Amino acid sequence: MNVKIEANPAFAYLDIELAPGETIVSEADAMATMSSELDMTAKFNGGFFQGISRKLLGGESMFVNHFTNNTSKSLKLTLTQATPGDMECKVLNNETYCLEGGAYVASEPGIKLGLRWAGFGSFIAREGLFKLIVKGTGKVYFGAYGGIVEREVKGEYIVDSGHLVGYEKDMQLKPKLSNGIIGSITSGEGFVTKVTGNGKIYLQTRNLSGLASWVNRHL
Amino acid sequence: MENTIQSATTNQLDVKFQMRPGATAAEITLKPGQKLTAEGGAMIAKSMAIQMTTSTQQKKSGGIIKGLKRLVSGENFFLNHYVAPAEGGKLWLGATHIGDMEQKELHGENLIIQGGSFVACTENVSIDASWQGFKNLVSKESLFWVKASGHGTVIFNSFGAIYKLEVDGEHIVDTGHIVAFEETLAFTLTKAGKSWVSSVLGGEGLVCKFKGKGIVWVQSHNSSSFGSTLGPQLKPR
Repeated sequence: MNVKIEANPAFAYLDIELAPGETIVSEADAMATMSSELDMTAKFNGGFFQGISRKLLGGESMFVNHFTNNTSKSLKLTLTQATPGDMECKVLNNETYCLEGGAYVASEPGIKLGLRWAGFGSFIAREGLFKLIVKGTGKVYFGAYGGIVEREVKGEYIVDSGHLVGYEKDMQLKPKLSNGIIGSITSGEGFVTKVTGNGKIYLQTRNLSGLASWVNRHL
Repeated sequence: MENTIQSATTNQLDVKFQMRPGATAAEITLKPGQKLTAEGGAMIAKSMAIQMTTSTQQKKSGGIIKGLKRLVSGENFFLNHYVAPAEGGKLWLGATHIGDMEQKELHGENLIIQGGSFVACTENVSIDASWQGFKNLVSKESLFWVKASGHGTVIFNSFGAIYKLEVDGEHIVDTGHIVAFEETLAFTLTKAGKSWVSSVLGGEGLVCKFKGKGIVWVQSHNSSSFGSTLGPQLKPR
């Protein structure tokens, strides 16, 4: 499998070449173009209950698409995301990683998608009660609105709610007032998220709810 | 991005694409008396002496009900026609969405362009907004299409990056990602997967299957997917 992230950072999309017998899994509605000889099958994502719970609890789509090359030559496919922005590849080696809702784009078949209880703290920080996890061995492609910044966290780190894209499974997310009650209001930061733990986090340089609230003021 | 500069040799249009690919604008230098037709609303700026007139083209896609709606709402496809004065002039054209632009020289062949992607064309190119090749398109994208034919330059824009897909045989493109395609290609609206169930459940719905030999210009992003991601966060008007 040959996957290239093209047109990044502004308009990243995945340019994929599948060798005979290979499969790539993608988020629903991610396909932009594909060879007509590729087989596309919608499947419950990680089984029936995972699929349903991912839809109801994680706000994600219930199905994922499996693209399989059942021919004897290599075939092309392009996958994209809804928002303009960058994409990143994360390699997992029998590991689990957490992605924010909407970030998942595609993965190799050795990766399973699932949900995990995120806690009420995450809910207050508007990150949802459940978190989407990707686990297994293989490559995961995820996207963001805006650019993607990678940060190595040792101990604690503060990120603005809505800018977090991916984080380690053992990290704790806690909502926090950015600067006391008055300071939080006047600084315009409000709630921020305190990330506790060690490992890598990914941040997006724009925030879709930021855009939405700006547009809302003009409606 | 090889064609940043397209120099004027004979009667070719002198276009420079600026600010690619994020927020592309077409900087057009018109020779004395040269004419250009652009989509209504595409103009950013122009020399004072360039004359402009407006005409309308009825959009006809989307079936009877939509056609009636348009009749009532008076929604038309407006085209602005620009004529350069004796000293020539400059015209800047933009687009609604962030993204890129591309140009294509027509030598008598036909090009089908997604209505929202059409930016401009030169004098001897005719634009037909009543092209109905996709008239039975039952898709979540409410798109209309224009047919450009004749001799000259056509400019179109994309939501996101734009890339050429050279079809030789068969290839599937999601309808919301089509910017333009050569009419040498045959096309059918079909399912994306092995079954209709997969195509619908997998969120792809109807897709366009191109057959034959020709070029499809594809946009990296789909404006209605972006709209339905942002839309739920907006307050009702």
